Amino acid sequence: MVHYCVAKLTGKEKGLQKRLYSGGLKRGVALWFIAASALSCFSTAALSQDASKTAPLKVLRMAFSTAETGFDPPRVSDLYSNTINEAIFERLLTYDYLARPARLAPMTAVALPEITDGGKTYTFRLRHGIFFTPDPAFGGKPRELTAADYVYSFKRVLDPKIRSPWAFLLEGRIIGLDALAEAAKKTGKFDYDTEIEGLKASDRYTLQVRLSEPDYNFNYVAAHTPFSAMAREVVEKYGEDTMAHPIGTGPYVLKQWTRGARIVLEKNPDYRGMIWNFAASEEGDAELISEMQGKRLPLIDRVEISIIEEEQSAWLAFDRKELDFSGVGTFREKVFDEKGELKPEWRAQGVKLMRAIDPEVTYTFFNFRDPIVGGFEKEKLALRRAIIMAYNRDEEIDVIRKGQAIPATMPIPVGVVGHDPRYQPLNTYNPALANQLLDAFGFKKGKDGFRTMPNGAPLLLKYATGTTALERQFNELWKKAMDSISVRIAFQPGKFADLIKASMACQLQMWGSAWTADYPDGDNFMQLLYGPNIGQNNHGCYESKAFDAFYEASLKLPDSPERNRLFLEMTRQMEVDGAWVLGVSRERNMLIRPWVIGYKKHPILSATWIYLDIDPAKKP
Amino acid sequence: MTAYIIRRLLQMIPTMLGVVLLLFVLFNWVGGDPAYILAGKNTGEAQIANIRHQLGIDRPAYVQIGIFIKQIVTADFGASWSTNEPVSDILKTRLGPSLTVMVPLMVLGTLLAIALSLIVARFRGSLTDRMVMVACTVGMSISILVYIIVFQYVFAYRLGWFPVQGWGDSLWKNLTTFAALPILIGLCVGLAPDLRLFRSFMLDEIDQDYVRTARAKGLSEARILWIHVLRNASIPIVTYVMAALPGLLVGAFLIERFFSIPGIGREVLLAVERSDFPVIKAITVYVAAATMLANLAADLIYKAVDPRVELK
Amino acid sequence: MTEAISSLSSTAISETHGDGKRRGFWSLACQRFRDDGVGMASLIIVAAFFVVVLLSMSGMAASGWNKEVAIHDAPPDLWGLLKPAAPTAMKSLAQRVEEETKNAAQAQSKEALPPLTVTDPLAETLQALNASEETSTAKKEKRASLPFGGDRWGRDVLSKTIKGTQTSVIVGLSAALLATFLGTLLGALAGYYGGRTDDALNWFYSVFSAIPYLLLILAVAAVLQQRGVTTVILILGLTGWAGVFRLIRAEYIKHRGRDYVQAAHAFGVPDRRILFFHILPNVSHVVLVNISILAVGFIKAEVILSFLGFGVKVDEVSWGSMLNDAQSELILGRWWELVAAGGAMALLVTAFSLLTDAMRDALDPKIQRTS
Repeated sequence: MVHYCVAKLTGKEKGLQKRLYSGGLKRGVALWFIAASALSCFSTAALSQDASKTAPLKVLRMAFSTAETGFDPPRVSDLYSNTINEAIFERLLTYDYLARPARLAPMTAVALPEITDGGKTYTFRLRHGIFFTPDPAFGGKPRELTAADYVYSFKRVLDPKIRSPWAFLLEGRIIGLDALAEAAKKTGKFDYDTEIEGLKASDRYTLQVRLSEPDYNFNYVAAHTPFSAMAREVVEKYGEDTMAHPIGTGPYVLKQWTRGARIVLEKNPDYRGMIWNFAASEEGDAELISEMQGKRLPLIDRVEISIIEEEQSAWLAFDRKELDFSGVGTFREKVFDEKGELKPEWRAQGVKLMRAIDPEVTYTFFNFRDPIVGGFEKEKLALRRAIIMAYNRDEEIDVIRKGQAIPATMPIPVGVVGHDPRYQPLNTYNPALANQLLDAFGFKKGKDGFRTMPNGAPLLLKYATGTTALERQFNELWKKAMDSISVRIAFQPGKFADLIKASMACQLQMWGSAWTADYPDGDNFMQLLYGPNIGQNNHGCYESKAFDAFYEASLKLPDSPERNRLFLEMTRQMEVDGAWVLGVSRERNMLIRPWVIGYKKHPILSATWIYLDIDPAKKP
Repeated sequence: MTAYIIRRLLQMIPTMLGVVLLLFVLFNWVGGDPAYILAGKNTGEAQIANIRHQLGIDRPAYVQIGIFIKQIVTADFGASWSTNEPVSDILKTRLGPSLTVMVPLMVLGTLLAIALSLIVARFRGSLTDRMVMVACTVGMSISILVYIIVFQYVFAYRLGWFPVQGWGDSLWKNLTTFAALPILIGLCVGLAPDLRLFRSFMLDEIDQDYVRTARAKGLSEARILWIHVLRNASIPIVTYVMAALPGLLVGAFLIERFFSIPGIGREVLLAVERSDFPVIKAITVYVAAATMLANLAADLIYKAVDPRVELK
Repeated sequence: MTEAISSLSSTAISETHGDGKRRGFWSLACQRFRDDGVGMASLIIVAAFFVVVLLSMSGMAASGWNKEVAIHDAPPDLWGLLKPAAPTAMKSLAQRVEEETKNAAQAQSKEALPPLTVTDPLAETLQALNASEETSTAKKEKRASLPFGGDRWGRDVLSKTIKGTQTSVIVGLSAALLATFLGTLLGALAGYYGGRTDDALNWFYSVFSAIPYLLLILAVAAVLQQRGVTTVILILGLTGWAGVFRLIRAEYIKHRGRDYVQAAHAFGVPDRRILFFHILPNVSHVVLVNISILAVGFIKAEVILSFLGFGVKVDEVSWGSMLNDAQSELILGRWWELVAAGGAMALLVTAFSLLTDAMRDALDPKIQRTS
């Protein structure tokens, strides 16, 4: 069974006007080097050996390739912590498991909210009878989830003590909340008891959110894991240690946690349950539906997650059936035959292959404020575009990505609103032309064979890089590319935090990065090039009046051909200016053991084991 | 004796102060700014300033050093900057797995090295001696990275004798299944240096007069070696082993990473990557203290076993 | 006068094993060394490695290690001994997906792209260039196999190993020299002067050796920022001197009470001279043995530094960088880079260690073989 599920996230859901990241998770992890290993999120699972004979425990074993940080939803922003939080805590809204493009669905809310007052008031009605997992903090009494919990949890995101990386999603949006946060900065204590106009529990089960500006996209915030319901008693009881005591209403509870090594979740016995009932949206869904329809979730009893940092350790563990999920990553030859299809030995084992192209783009930015590569003079345009034309992306795909990527033609990747497959990129690979271009603009070769600036000043590129083996491969490729146009390049190593700091201050000359869609709209990508976002996401400090004008025009439009045309204009503008070296969109290839049923990659949700089942009969 | 111990303990204070200073300079001034890691990618000046304030890294250096010293005195290093977990909890959970690998490795390695060194010392200069030494040297010359990659592939994956990676909850299971291959690799890498060192200890003893006397008395060669020589050679051996112990805690990070063992070494790498200063501080201070105490203990044992040794 | 002192000091040494003939310490040592078969064999191997290093440094060997002479991951043929299977081109998954999505997109909308208003300031220049010259890149023939195989870019593993030998040997030796220099200098000062100097240096030593080595390395690497051979040498050298310090300090404490030092002192020889011209030759065997022990250790440590991401630069190659490149290749059946780098390293380190042993045995008159 081989599916393609190119994540077609096209649709009417226009993105948030500001940046909403479904995963800062995705951002922390965003830099291509980390995420390139397809072994990332769902690596693996296997069956428990110590299952009792009467009722075999359904155990899923997976691996994360990077350590999590903890389980306090508003506090963490990495993919792995968020994945766990997604299973333990509940949001007002979530996404439909099968629907593509991704579609919002109610979670603890009865239905999607009523939006009134011209997009300024959201009224969520909660289901009755949802209870938190028992905890000593509740004094032995059952504790029902109420609207007040969401009021508390939303307020908490702006508590300065929490230093939430998600604060920007609420800042300046909810009436009265910013004043509370300001007061807390002064007094040192956030006043959760003061009622504010913007966040009200108008009765036990009704939450009313009032925004200062009309915004039809607040639902994305309500569906975002950091905005899960937490109980105030629990947070106050555990204080600083809340990270290790996630008490939610979701289908799983944290059973055991060895930081950076092992996370064990178990089915929440008090969970209200949910019926697997999703409609097909793509080819191949029918099989999932026939296997899963009508089952009561969750079905997996225990999820055991190991943190396996080394790629070969994880791969060998999967191959030895110590794990049930694995990416393909480096090990392409082990998995695919010459035609690029699953090898017979895997099919004989019943292993399934799931393919999807991530809604993401990798890129290398130039710093437009840099004295060497920056600026809009013609010669600088020529320099940047020559560099872009010298970079051999096909070799990147073949050698580094092991064939598991497609070239990006626009800043907006395949499967995201605004991507147009008809667009022909301007700066295609052509080192000979690049050389001629540099010659034409007077970048003459010096005595050592390397080019200088037209005024004779030295020309040295400085490419920021981390320290992983994968980054070393990229550096090798870049070195080759620059050698082909006789441009000197040096690699400037640094820790991620230092590089982020420098890039925000427009101090990095060049750096490779990746961006994964937080919401399936081109705006989420184009904002990376928007001038006023310098100091935030616009790490190249690209400030083009023409681009900004197109971008601002696009903000005023709904999803329409007119807006798509503006996206194309922006793409062309950034290509003409040579703002980015466009990279690729990676393909996630997931191998799944035959006893795991119901898997389909979701573009936004990551704790998909909630929707899975295990068939003990297929176990060896 | 008591006076000596007290003096030695007092001498540790300036050393610890030096450790504090060096650590502070290396990590607080030149290390990464943790605020940027905690803030994530989408952040602004205000958020960074807020985080720096929360962490206390916006305060003058002398205040921070003062806090650091207070933390050492109270043995309370607060909570990890990245996960908020109390540092003491982190160390508690990490210590077990590290020790599960290192203690058996140390014991096995030392016993094997002693036995082998006695044998080669007995046949000093012979072909056996030469062959064992050469074999050990070859074993020691292969990079630990190669050992890990090849052994994991061959013994765990191909032959299936061990699990490829992992760690469980029961000590027994960890020891017998998960730690077995790491210990084997540790032995391959570490046996040869131990053996070479112990051999020289043994040779030193074999040349002593008492051995000749014993031989003259007609004692069996085995008895001379295993009783007399070993007893005397055990002093430098114990000293050496004691001194090596604290360093091993952090040293096994490669093995811990490849075999997914939740030990201290892996934690160090993670903490440095995240600029998680409280964790770095705590581990360094504890390892430094352990190193100094182990040195003191080694000296005391030396003295206890051999009264001729003068304690200065 | 100083000559008198020198002869005095060498007398002091040769006296320790006076066997009638007045032979120098070093000539005796050489004699002992020549009798040692294993020692001689390892000397030859080590010498061979040094020849390789010299050839590589002079550019006579492996100068083109960075050239992509073969196809990606070219298999080894060991000069015809192995018959490598012809590599099969694997269709890129991405190509397939791209084709499918393109076809789908074309089927959906055949309309042309809307005209774009953005103008390209370089358009004219580019057009002129395109028209004036052929912009095709000459494709070179790539070999299908190499004696020791190729790496992921098709570079010759044999050349890489040779160049890597150069880097690793230079790193090992230079770092060892640096560490030994630091350790010897500080140890000599501490041991000779004693008192406050000794206290201060000893304190520094204790601090240094109390911090876990891994943390020290990570910290120094973070301080140094740059990457490259020099950085690796500095990291290893600056963190590795403590052992030498301890040994040399003990030696100097021992020697400062000796007659020849006292005599030199009485003759008014300046301290500097006594330290480095009188005592140092007498502890030089300790120094020499330590250099080679450290060199071996550092050659191995370079692999770990590479693993941690603090290895050599992208346009340099070392055994460590090769082993790290080859890490996951074994699973894919590509053993050659791992074997080449790992084997070369094992051979040199073994030979070097045995050479050190032989040297130590030869230099340490206490140990006499009963063979």
